[in-house]
Amino acid sequence: MSQQIPLTWFLYFAAASFSIGLMGVLMRRNAIGVLMAIEIMLNAANVNFVAFWRYGPTPASEGPISGVMMALFVVTVAAAEVAVGVGLILLCYRRWRAADVDELDSLSG
Amino acid sequence: MIQALFIALSAFGLLMALGTVFARNLVNAALFLVAFFFVIACQFVLLEAEFMAAIQVLIYIGAVTVILMFGIMLTRNIQGDETTTVSKRWRLLGLGAFGTVCTVLVLGINAYQPWTDLAVRPEFPVTKDSTTPRGQAILSMTPTVGREMMTRYVVAFELAGLLLTAALVGAVVLAQHDSTDIVNAKAEKPGTEPAVTGS
Repeated sequence: MSQQIPLTWFLYFAAASFSIGLMGVLMRRNAIGVLMAIEIMLNAANVNFVAFWRYGPTPASEGPISGVMMALFVVTVAAAEVAVGVGLILLCYRRWRAADVDELDSLSG
Repeated sequence: MIQALFIALSAFGLLMALGTVFARNLVNAALFLVAFFFVIACQFVLLEAEFMAAIQVLIYIGAVTVILMFGIMLTRNIQGDETTTVSKRWRLLGLGAFGTVCTVLVLGINAYQPWTDLAVRPEFPVTKDSTTPRGQAILSMTPTVGREMMTRYVVAFELAGLLLTAALVGAVVLAQHDSTDIVNAKAEKPGTEPAVTGS
């Protein structure tokens, strides 16, 4: 393996995935579709974390696996957010019989 | 050779992400998302963080996808799948946002010299008698994660546990059935008004 993958290639992939997720958040009308696009964006940020951890100098006070720990906590928060989000969408579906984000425009009733 | 592998993997991953965004059928979109999660796990393996790849498969594909499938199945529109079509008004906005953000990010990555210089990853000797702590961490990541979680990141660990408990209790309370709550309240205390729960 004389040739290795440069750091910027990982960053390009993460940037493109983030942009595709952003496009999904703006274009999707279904609330579950919006949640899926948010997951794409979170995973792109995770790849960024681990890529910078592997390639760059990390401060010694943060430990040997600082990037991996950050990515781990991002996974935890994302899983909790998806659970609560799906619960909210189920409630909205009970009210409006459709999981359409265009309908969710009022806080009362 | 590994560069060709990375290019093929990344192109496949971006195609799966595009499939998630543009698929009409929501179940197809969820399956595209599973493929994208797996490509992210492969990226973690390429970055020598195999623990993260296993966690990615376990939590994202194993739990998050299942929750999303529950949400999709329980919120099926009976008339048809018209809610999953892309509205024309937002299509241009979405494409514009994609182009702007992607261009800005790519130009910014290209312009930063310390990142473009890192064409070769730092070689940590990943052998049994590795002296650098990072080399040892990469070699045996799972015990290192456990040790770091309990010493350096213990506050974040406890907060994450608190967050997960709150999310669990909150999700259960949110998705409870309203009618059974009111029926139970009426059965237990006749004559008193049942408390209004949920919507």
